[in-house]
Amino acid sequence: MANLLMFHGRECPHCKKMMPFVEKIEQETGLRFDKREVWHDEANADLMRSHREDLAPKCGNQLRVPTFFNPETKDAVCGEVEYEKLKDWALKQS
Amino acid sequence: MKKRYWRCFVCNDIHYGIAPPELCPTCKVLNAYVEISAAEARKILGGGPNTSQTAEDFRAAIESFAAGNEFEVNPDREKVDLLLKGIFENELNHGLKYCPCRLRTKDWEEDLRIVCPCHFTIHETYKGIKDGECWCGLFVRRK
Ligand code: SF4
Ligand SMILES: [Zn+2]
Repeated sequence: MANLLMFHGRECPHCKKMMPFVEKIEQETGLRFDKREVWHDEANADLMRSHREDLAPKCGNQLRVPTFFNPETKDAVCGEVEYEKLKDWALKQS
Repeated sequence: MKKRYWRCFVCNDIHYGIAPPELCPTCKVLNAYVEISAAEARKILGGGPNTSQTAEDFRAAIESFAAGNEFEVNPDREKVDLLLKGIFENELNHGLKYCPCRLRTKDWEEDLRIVCPCHFTIHETYKGIKDGECWCGLFVRRK
């Protein structure tokens, strides 16, 4: 099963909005997102920074949260997106 | 071009930039700025009053900043409260008021671009968009 990452920030409104979508997708598909909070955990922040080359070009040349990432395919989705779009993306990764 | 430091010879205002202001914003004297060293600038600033800023002070500051612009602080109070909490936690933990919806890269110059308020009027979430917002939604285009 694909190892999907979700980088998020505790005080980011976009992340807050997306979290229930992510949980719903997990329930519906059996897929799992490894959720990494990046502003209060430097190890998670470093992990996100280590993927900067793959993430930034897809996120307006910045490191943005939330970012959904598949480290195997280097595919990423950033920001607040519709539920169906994220679900399709997640299914495509598995 | 590299930014440098300048001091007003009348009122000791310090300016950091590639060129000094023609007119000093404090004492209104023309051509008043002389280039100085970083050490001198830091000494003068370091000897200044030790002001601080609470989240409420910052809210007032961004409201007065927005008042002169085509955008306003988001009327969604709950969202703004969450963002201010993040901004202040980031200042406490990481040194500056970094944007809660992005991550610093650890490149100092690069990360100055995500100090709040950032130059969001050029972002694709704002520029040319009717209901434009800054990336986090702290600022929204005034209706
Ligand atoms: S996107 Fe909004 S909240 Fe984030 S730094 Fe810019 S102005 Fe501040
Ligand atoms: Zn002056």
